[in-house]
Amino acid sequence: MDTYIDKLPSFVEAIKSIKETIIANIVFIGQVPSPTFKEKRRTAIFMERLSEARVDECTTDGYRNPIGIIRGTSKTKPPIFIVAHLDTHFPRDVDHNFTVKEDTITGAGIMDNSVGIGVLLSLPEIFRKLDLCFESDIVLAGVIQSIGKGNLRGIRHLLKTWATPIRGAVCIEGGELGRLNYYSDGMIRAEIDCNISTTNAWEQRFRPNAILILNEVINHILKLKLPQRPRSRVILGKISGGYKHGIVAYNAKLGFEIQSDSDRMVKTIYNDIQDIISDISHENAVGLTMKTISNLKPSKLRYNHPLIKSTIAVMEKLDIKPVSEPSESELSIFLSRKIPALTLGITCGRNYHLENAGMEIEPMFKGIAQIIGVIMAIDNGACDE
Amino acid sequence: MVLVMNNNWLKKNTFHYSEFKNIDRLVEEKTKKKLSIALCLPTLNEEKTIAKEILIMKSELMTHHQLLDELIVIDSGSTDNTRKIAGDYGAKVYRANDILPRLEVFKGKGENLWKALYVTNSDIIVYLDADIKNIHHRFVYALVGPLLLFDDIKFCKAFYDRPIAVGKSKIRPTGGGRVTELVIRPMLSLFFPELTQIMQPLSGEYAGFREIFEKIPFPIGYGVETSMLLDIHEKWGLDVIAQVDLDRRIHRNQDTKALGRMAFVILKTFCNRIEKLGLININQDLFNEMIQYNLVKNEYQPDILKIEGVERPPIVEIAEYREKFKIKDLKKSSPDYKQ
Repeated sequence: MDTYIDKLPSFVEAIKSIKETIIANIVFIGQVPSPTFKEKRRTAIFMERLSEARVDECTTDGYRNPIGIIRGTSKTKPPIFIVAHLDTHFPRDVDHNFTVKEDTITGAGIMDNSVGIGVLLSLPEIFRKLDLCFESDIVLAGVIQSIGKGNLRGIRHLLKTWATPIRGAVCIEGGELGRLNYYSDGMIRAEIDCNISTTNAWEQRFRPNAILILNEVINHILKLKLPQRPRSRVILGKISGGYKHGIVAYNAKLGFEIQSDSDRMVKTIYNDIQDIISDISHENAVGLTMKTISNLKPSKLRYNHPLIKSTIAVMEKLDIKPVSEPSESELSIFLSRKIPALTLGITCGRNYHLENAGMEIEPMFKGIAQIIGVIMAIDNGACDE
Repeated sequence: MVLVMNNNWLKKNTFHYSEFKNIDRLVEEKTKKKLSIALCLPTLNEEKTIAKEILIMKSELMTHHQLLDELIVIDSGSTDNTRKIAGDYGAKVYRANDILPRLEVFKGKGENLWKALYVTNSDIIVYLDADIKNIHHRFVYALVGPLLLFDDIKFCKAFYDRPIAVGKSKIRPTGGGRVTELVIRPMLSLFFPELTQIMQPLSGEYAGFREIFEKIPFPIGYGVETSMLLDIHEKWGLDVIAQVDLDRRIHRNQDTKALGRMAFVILKTFCNRIEKLGLININQDLFNEMIQYNLVKNEYQPDILKIEGVERPPIVEIAEYREKFKIKDLKKSSPDYKQ
């Protein structure tokens, strides 16, 4: 094991020596808008770049997740999956052209997750540069319909239809370097919709205000007593509503997530919120509905799992300080299928979800070396217990 | 007067970039013909876009495919980090003033393009503006494609859709090309209707053989594209020219006043050329000042820009150039492409 760990610091410089290729991949893929459910163009570029990178196989699964396969030397070892989500938060009409400077790349979607996809596309070239080959096949998957209402459909489908066992997986996210996710909370992502129906303009003036109704819902949610054990929380993440300044809002929408390391607690909180909604809806005679967008069960690897131990060793060798938090992403789907997996961040960034998001170039090379180290650990048997 | 125009050129010499997508074939042809290719990026404060242009061309056309042999930046004296960034990403960077120091110093895009002929060694030179936001390596391979695959083509120009970046993050789907449609196209229609078949005569992306570029003069400023087109047309005819559709080019939007100044230079270059060719007779010297007005504190104040209209001679006439490329007899090296 030590042999590959010791090589890691020298990998950083070797990876840096092909920085043009890596940044070109980030730019080519990241400049193609790819809002959730509209990833077709980015998928095409992904396939094109992978095929130019001369992977052994390049295809899409039945759900149109693009996949490249680098064949391993063993016919018996299961494949190792490296995945990154293809979709971004930005609509098509937002300028996706990146600005590259000496130390940074700036542009919409760069941290979430164009840098992840760009690095994924660069792996074949990086393996060649480092003269690496693996026993396992390496499956490079860009998964579609991941974030928000995508509800991880791409990865769910990919794993559901993958016929053979999977040895282990690494999920790549743009940031933050040092991120080490190996457990997922139970989660329900839902939306509460308030609609005040009116039949004419006069009636509308005296109807309740949808924004105030949602405000009442929020106040009630905030009054919920959430336990510290099992660790639980409700995140109010999105809100929208109303038509214009001088008109009482007749619609409003609240997006939130319930997260807990206990599936039962997630369901309990969900039921509590459902009760709040029924109550307020009845009291105010308004249409108030809750729709579940996504639902995940908690899942985790043990902290002393060999994959986690090896990963921490890799990170320490590269002077990366590991930070562990739960992650509700592709990781959840691997773990729920009992496939050892983790999520790693590539570099440091800022304004992750704004149009002027930025990434730092220099830390990226360490971030990539870390991913290579973890792939080598899996190939050396870290997931074979 | 009505001209019956030969539309064959448009069909025969107009290409789409996708026709040259097979870069391996271009490399093969380049090797077979023992040619070399240089990319030149003229810059002045382009720190926002220069890195992307260099790294994409280096990665795709020097590392993955050996299509480019030289990648140089010629800078007019940027006050931002353009030169440092360009150097960091692997371009060979020159200050225009440091090249051919014996000569009087001028500042302008045309000056940079002209001096690029001296510092590069390749047979084919590709010129790209350095402010392309959606840069892609097709901007280079599509321009050299016709030069490599068709023996009679010696100069190739780009055309494209021109969405413009408005505000910080939105793109307007149409627009741009105003100087083309309001200035150069009417002038071409009046004097060289054949050349109206060139969709974007002012595009800043073109490639050609050294043997062409070294024999034409270069105005130091904006007029360089106009004069280049007219000179190549006059010396070698339309058939040595091709144009390639590069699909889409996103560039900075320029305000009307800036476009006005550009139009002034282009018109002046055009007038000088057509007078030299004996097509018109201008009975006085043209003025050198573009005069625009600004409303300042309720008063109109003139904003005068002096533009000398200096032109560099064909570089083959410069002693240092002839010495570097071992050119002794100018006449011998002059190709005659006219049919």
